[in-house]
Amino acid sequence: MAATSTTLVLPGDEIAPGALPTGTGKRKTLKLGPGLRHIPPNTIVSTVAGALVTNSKKNAASVEYNSGRYLPYPGDLVIATVNGSAAENFNCLLTPNTPPAALPHLAFEGATKKTRPQLPPASLVYCRVVSAGKDSAPELTCMDPATGKGEGLGLLKGGMVFKISLGMARRLLTPKGDLVLLESLGGKVGFEVTVGRNGLVHVDGGAVKTTLAIGQAIQTVDDRALDDVAQKKLAADVMKKVA
Amino acid sequence: MAVPEVTLTHLNRADGSATYTHNGYSIIGAVNGPIEVSRRDEMPEEATLEVNVRPAVGVGSPKERHLESLLHNTLRSIILTRMMPRTLVQITLQVRSLPEEDEATGVNSTLTILPHLLHTSLLALLSASIPLLTTLTSLLIAVPTSSAPIISPTSTELLRAGPLQAVHVFAFAGDRRLLLNESDGAFSYDEWEEACEMAEEVCCSGGEGGVKLEGEGMDVDAQDGNLEEWLRGVVRRKVDWEQRWKKGT
Amino acid sequence: MPREAEISLNEREFIKQALQEQIRLDNRAFDAFRKLELTFGEEYGVADVQLGKTRVIARISIDVTTPLPERKFDGVFQIFTEFSPMASPAFEVGRPTDAEVILSRILEKAIRRSNALDTESLCIIAGLKCFALRADVHIIDHDGGLIDASCIAVMAALQHFRRPDVLVEGERATILSVREREPIPLSILHQPLCVTFSYFAEGEIFLVDANLAEEQVRNAEVIVTMNRHGEVCQIAKYGGVTVNPLAMLQCTNVALQKVKEMSKFIQQKLDEDAKRRDAGGLMAELSAENAR
Repeated sequence: MAATSTTLVLPGDEIAPGALPTGTGKRKTLKLGPGLRHIPPNTIVSTVAGALVTNSKKNAASVEYNSGRYLPYPGDLVIATVNGSAAENFNCLLTPNTPPAALPHLAFEGATKKTRPQLPPASLVYCRVVSAGKDSAPELTCMDPATGKGEGLGLLKGGMVFKISLGMARRLLTPKGDLVLLESLGGKVGFEVTVGRNGLVHVDGGAVKTTLAIGQAIQTVDDRALDDVAQKKLAADVMKKVA
Repeated sequence: MAVPEVTLTHLNRADGSATYTHNGYSIIGAVNGPIEVSRRDEMPEEATLEVNVRPAVGVGSPKERHLESLLHNTLRSIILTRMMPRTLVQITLQVRSLPEEDEATGVNSTLTILPHLLHTSLLALLSASIPLLTTLTSLLIAVPTSSAPIISPTSTELLRAGPLQAVHVFAFAGDRRLLLNESDGAFSYDEWEEACEMAEEVCCSGGEGGVKLEGEGMDVDAQDGNLEEWLRGVVRRKVDWEQRWKKGT
Repeated sequence: MPREAEISLNEREFIKQALQEQIRLDNRAFDAFRKLELTFGEEYGVADVQLGKTRVIARISIDVTTPLPERKFDGVFQIFTEFSPMASPAFEVGRPTDAEVILSRILEKAIRRSNALDTESLCIIAGLKCFALRADVHIIDHDGGLIDASCIAVMAALQHFRRPDVLVEGERATILSVREREPIPLSILHQPLCVTFSYFAEGEIFLVDANLAEEQVRNAEVIVTMNRHGEVCQIAKYGGVTVNPLAMLQCTNVALQKVKEMSKFIQQKLDEDAKRRDAGGLMAELSAENAR
């Protein structure tokens, strides 16, 4: 896919019209992702330092950066920590020391006013960001609003969470972003990996050793930017440890 | 002029961090944000900015408070605070070391350290990916009584230059607009303007800000000591580091 | 009020379960320190300690003052620890947290009250003039083990520091600048170091140098301060779970071994730095000649 190109941008840089995708067909309006802002009438300015990423297929542009605090965007899958329960919502934290996000009691599969889900404080939930405007607290959900099904969202039991960089989380969540590491491991041991866009990955491999080895392997790939060959080697090392 | 040395995003806890070393000054900067703000400091339509300057020795004195307010006012105008209402952006600057001769130069030490603090906070803000209106570059110019003005002098140079007529600090935004000026000494308007133009020359790059496409000869390391080029070089290294995994796969 | 975010249930259970299976999250042995790094700055008396992801900088500075009237023959020595939001947004300026109070108290007991520094050597003219030495401890990055790291940093910085020499003639004292006379090292009587033990599983398991996650899960902590001669300077225990006295003895044995290792490490780094400085001194002299 040669649909993307990268350009270095600094805050305040005006994006030349030539560097932006031109809308074709149905998607005529340009979509701006994180890191870009529109100053009417038609100036696009970057607000962060990173690489400009454009996608002419989707007619979208954003700035890719890998440092800083996670900021919620609608549609993101995140691992939230339950901080407490209010009348209608659970108060959840996406990152430490941020204002809490609201997860309604009714936003679970099969939840009704009478059978509310019980989530103990400090437990982890896998959820999707519904809305995240600057003027209101972010709202989360644990079901697909169209079907009312859980779709794998909900309380994360057991296992362990590991911190990864935001770039790594984004990479793992892209449709074709599977790590060679996890593919090669998946053939040999059974485990579950849940990736939160907020820089957390939850691993459950049954035994402590397995969970730990897999979590640390993901962190190693992230820290050292291992390529496919090195990932395969790492997978072999992990297998030795676990066996 | 020596180019400042920078290490970005090296602290584990802070959202963004930078260590900046230049002319014997070494400063560690950390940014947390946007985070929860206390009720008392909350502002309905914009982010609250908190700047902490911590001296190498001792606890903060009025001098640090003064620096904090200068930094606060300058940074406030480049951070897009309205994009993060009712949150807090916290900047902590820890002075790690000063040049040995710092005290002996007799120059107002608030001015000599100011450009370094500004650069450190900008770099930490970039590292934390806080939305910014623009970047900034800053410079100290010393005007000796009997010789030509010195750009970004080291403390040894200041000692050797003899009596000084005036000292200026300028900070420019990415679009060449003057953000901050602090001057000390006696000078006429013409002399000030001359110094200002000199600073602008070093702080801002030749071309008007705007995106150049990659591969069109972006100089990574600024050999000529232009501060904006230097800043772009630092960011280029950061982006390359973040994207290095793409090469392997 | 900003507070340290609570650790999640999953992490808490996992850490406990792993400890039951004799596993630490970073694969360390129960009695192993994290990787310790120590660097000195260009100036005398600045020590930068990294213990895993924790980073602490200690800086010694000196001034001349009048001695306290009740201690006419002693100089002044003070240790200052102030947390900044740099290490964690939960730290607020001017509002000390419990951790901060405990840290400064332990350092006070471990270093100052154990007379690690000979304060009498800081006296210039009895009752009139003395040196005031201060140690500033800056917490740069926080991943647990602040007490151990700070203690190493302060002790290393004290050993690295050189104070200016003084010339006393009757009632007149002249401080000689670094250029006039080679500055002299402080007189250090012994080198106390702290080893923090964290207890888990109701006192069944103890860990050396817990990281932040382990600190959040532990039942209790015991801080043992001793020097490499095996002299215990202080023992402090915070937290509710009772500890078997025999386990305490075991702790002091482990602590002694760790303190010996660390003292050796600090000495080695000091020697390396001295060697580097010597070479640097020669070079500086040469370049000064050339400049003229």
